[in-house]
Amino acid sequence: MRAFLLESLEQLRDHLAAQRPLFTPQFAADSSEPSWLPLSHNTPSVAIEQPLLPAYPAKQFFFPEREILFRFDGTDFKETLPKPAPQILFGVRSCDLCAIAYQDQFFQQDPYYQARRKATLLVGIDCQLPCEGGFCPTVDAGPFVRDGMADLVCHQQGDHWLLITQTSEGEALLEGLDLKAAAEEGITQRRSQEPQVAAQFPSATHIERGIQRINQSQVPAELWQTMGLQCLSCSGCTSLCPTCSCFTSYDRPVDDGFERERCWDSCLYDAFQREASGHNPSAAAGQRVERFWFHKFSDEYIKTFGRYGCTGCGRCEKTCPGVIGVHSVMKRISATP
Amino acid sequence: MNGLMTPQLIRISEIYDDGEAARHFTFEPVSGTRHSARPGQFFTLAIPGHGEAAFTYLSLPDAQGRFKALIRRVGALTSALFECGHGDLIGFRGPFGNSWPLEQLLGKRVLIIAGGIGLPPLAAVTDRLSTDGNTPVGLIYGCRSPAEQVLKHERSAWHASMPILETFDRPSNKGQLTGTPLDHTQQMSAKLGGSPEAILSCGPEVMMNAAARHFIKNNLPPEKIWLALERRMHCGVGECGHCYLGSSTVCTDGPIYSWQQLIRLQSQTTA
Repeated sequence: MRAFLLESLEQLRDHLAAQRPLFTPQFAADSSEPSWLPLSHNTPSVAIEQPLLPAYPAKQFFFPEREILFRFDGTDFKETLPKPAPQILFGVRSCDLCAIAYQDQFFQQDPYYQARRKATLLVGIDCQLPCEGGFCPTVDAGPFVRDGMADLVCHQQGDHWLLITQTSEGEALLEGLDLKAAAEEGITQRRSQEPQVAAQFPSATHIERGIQRINQSQVPAELWQTMGLQCLSCSGCTSLCPTCSCFTSYDRPVDDGFERERCWDSCLYDAFQREASGHNPSAAAGQRVERFWFHKFSDEYIKTFGRYGCTGCGRCEKTCPGVIGVHSVMKRISATP
Repeated sequence: MNGLMTPQLIRISEIYDDGEAARHFTFEPVSGTRHSARPGQFFTLAIPGHGEAAFTYLSLPDAQGRFKALIRRVGALTSALFECGHGDLIGFRGPFGNSWPLEQLLGKRVLIIAGGIGLPPLAAVTDRLSTDGNTPVGLIYGCRSPAEQVLKHERSAWHASMPILETFDRPSNKGQLTGTPLDHTQQMSAKLGGSPEAILSCGPEVMMNAAARHFIKNNLPPEKIWLALERRMHCGVGECGHCYLGSSTVCTDGPIYSWQQLIRLQSQTTA
């Protein structure tokens, strides 16, 4: 790990963009929310210093909404592994970086995911302010980038930036940039500053209490049923959740045969577990809502992933039309006597 | 070389009808690559244009790599499979999942309880235990009616080396046993020379759960009761999410669970 001083984020961003295609959160012309877009010459300078949590997490770069797994050309099955060009994601926030690490482990054996992931370098930015609905400190996913979660990390210190290298690939990208080494003091200061930023986040006792209740099986089945009534099975939460990874697959006819495509699925759909016989182990909406939150907050998954399946980004709360996003659900769970 | 999501070709080498809307299939390798599997594991079959589904090994791959499956026509994929004929090439992936705990069964009194189409997942382990010579093993096979029974040839072979009781909800003649498998456990214990020391079961979950509770009540430890679960297993490698059971994925941690494991998994959520 090495640390340098950076005059501005643009200095680093433009240097990196000259080497590889670079994606960074930006406002599309017709949107009030930032999204992951390629940096191009006519992109106006954006206020990347502010917490800019894109509407979508970065998972689509590695686990796209749709992708072809193999082709059947009439005689045999041929695997269709992606051959992605090297790329850089610039300005990934800690919650999304933790989710990428989670999925890196989940998709360890998946050659499609791994091909895309290995072609991508991650540049993280420490959040200096809470974002709306975010609660990363409660689930150990921020606000500053965790060790080993990105190739490069940027951290604002007054009128300049601290640039920390976390991998040799990240460090290699800096070649050609004339950077001064940062003093040890800057790194120490960064460490001591994180609790102060975390303290600015609104109280999340409902999340803590909710996690406890889920793990002690203290949520009444009736409450899950009531919240199940509010689930429209729209899959907004599972699409936007940075750790959600369920998929289905189907065959599509092509010119000389068929191709197998996989696409995102959602455990909130009523037929998600339905078998050919008609047997459905999760036929009730309440069961499916319970499943979703169990998967995000059960201690069982900490054994495997070292963290919860929720990284505190708060996107589900923003998108859920049935008002059963994370804050709404956890408030109701924690308020149960 | 294809990876974990891409099927390899296999050939259908034999087909015959075996029970209500059910067929007995034998598959053989095309490229000469053989694989090995353990009793209770499963594989997937892919039919281009119709998708893919999971099936259990009725018999494990032999020296030539041939293996068998008993398949009931219930959905789109199996309907397409039933259109296939002798010599047709389809896709295969596997083996997947865990297996029956053979090493814990050998030398013990083992009772196998199967319901309807739940018999095939128990066939390979029944073959193994019934020919062991040192393992008293019995089978109680329950079906709604005689027409629902499958594995006629396999059952007649087992009859020669082990006790089998076949029972029906709706028998077709007076000589047949009626009721559920649990109505006949004492009769089977007498044939085995004592109460079972291990239970293996596959069938409707209601039946398996009732069997597990029955033997728990009769002081069999929960870690001596094993059930093979059915879930919607799409990918077979624990990724797609469809076959979850609490914090477990049935395609990798299962399909076989001890009652002790199941109690724990079921207690994780209220449903």
